Amino acid sequence: MHRVLALLLLAALALAPTAPAWAETTLEKIARTGVLTIGTRTGSPPFAFINRNNEWVGFSIDLVEQAVKPAIERKLGRPIRVEKKESTPPTRIPLLQSNAVDLIAGTMTHTRSRAEQVDFSITFFVTGAQFLVKKGSPIRGIQDIAGKRIAAQQGSTNARIIRERVPAAQLREFPDQPAAFQALVQGQVDAYTNDGVQLAGLIAKAPNPGEWQIVGDFYSYEPYGMAMRKNESDFRHLVNVGLMEAIESGKYFELYDKWFGPKGEVPYPLTPEVRRFLQMQVVPR
Amino acid sequence: MSLRLDWSVLWSGQTGGWLLQGLLVTLELSALGWALALALGTLAGALRTLERAPLRAVAAAYVEFFRNVPLLVWMFFWYFGVPPFLPETVRRWLFAHGAEFWAAAVALGVYHGARMAEVIRSGIRAIPRTQFEAAAALGLSTAQVYRLVIVPVALRLIVPPGTSEALNLLKNSSVALTISVAELTFQTRQIETYTARALEALTAGTLIYLGLCLGVSRLMAAVERRVAIPGLIARAGLEAG
Repeated sequence: MHRVLALLLLAALALAPTAPAWAETTLEKIARTGVLTIGTRTGSPPFAFINRNNEWVGFSIDLVEQAVKPAIERKLGRPIRVEKKESTPPTRIPLLQSNAVDLIAGTMTHTRSRAEQVDFSITFFVTGAQFLVKKGSPIRGIQDIAGKRIAAQQGSTNARIIRERVPAAQLREFPDQPAAFQALVQGQVDAYTNDGVQLAGLIAKAPNPGEWQIVGDFYSYEPYGMAMRKNESDFRHLVNVGLMEAIESGKYFELYDKWFGPKGEVPYPLTPEVRRFLQMQVVPR
Repeated sequence: MSLRLDWSVLWSGQTGGWLLQGLLVTLELSALGWALALALGTLAGALRTLERAPLRAVAAAYVEFFRNVPLLVWMFFWYFGVPPFLPETVRRWLFAHGAEFWAAAVALGVYHGARMAEVIRSGIRAIPRTQFEAAAALGLSTAQVYRLVIVPVALRLIVPPGTSEALNLLKNSSVALTISVAELTFQTRQIETYTARALEALTAGTLIYLGLCLGVSRLMAAVERRVAIPGLIARAGLEAG
């Protein structure tokens, strides 16, 4: 039996992915196949979600289609097609590393520890974590959550911050948003924490939006970026150029208004600070 | 590009402790689930072999209902579906005392109990008719026949398929992460969140499950050797010896 175990361990180690032999860069791959494969979400309105007509749409997807894709097409001199695959917080980095997708465009926060594994584009959205509670809840922000049951999305930066800042809070982490929200609806938890914009998206889709309230100041800073494989500066540059041109030309703000404006899927006004921050990321031609 | 693996994330910082915690929760959950599955499975399996049709029907309904719906659905059912029907005070108490863990244990136990029932039923069916008759001839009631003679023998017969079922239950306990139980798979994801190193964390989880299952199957092989009934179950070793 010991020998069997040793053999199995050996097999597992041998099968573990090591450096792939191919030397093709992401850009060469896109030039060869004519396809840009992105990993994105299916349940994060309005960034990436399946809408009522069963179409896979959203702000992040629009940015890829209308800002990143044209920049790549111009460079390669040929039309390309965007293909979408589902990615979730636990799967998105492995999907990139295994070459299954070329770009993560969803709701991924750019963090320093993630940047050790993948490279990020410039920031395309800024939000921060808050709490979703039933109207009239005693919880008004992160100062009130000690001893309370708090739902969070697993794999998110928010859960990590709560664990470090308020260890007395009882965290319940769910792999997806609908289950966490259901736990809040039924009272299994006292509050659900996520990025403010995602909570706004949840309320917009809830059966009784009037019952819910987003409370608290941002207790985290969540700059969303698009992620790609490490050390491919030519590809990253093109993604950045696409995003910068969209901000410069106003295309970005048109799209923002489409999804987050008063008539958008999730009303979430752009603050002047964030607008200025986005514009200052645009370096000169 | 290349993939650099850094295995030290598995023991540096808090990650080792998390894996250990996850392992403990997995073991607790599986042990509780298994106790429930064995009890329900024995009961339902025995009822299905009785002569009285209503009892057989009840047991058959339990088996077919619970084994033919995905475990994930049962997890949600016990966690989200049942609490609204509990009295307010019970519900509050449960929510404050790890409702997700109990829901997961019940989900695992009831689901695998339905599957175990079939295993135990086959075990009972494998016992020669004469044993029932001999037990009855001693003046035992039907309940006594089952409790004292048939079920103990059947349990000794079904060790190999029962082991498979126990291993399945152990691995299926990972589904509990969908209702926020912080078991082993949950913790491997946790490590990924903190270190952004998914492959290392997943590999660690895989190896721990593998080790656990190999341990259980070894243990059960020893049990099987000890409880084998000569003549009723043929063991290769015994035949050769």
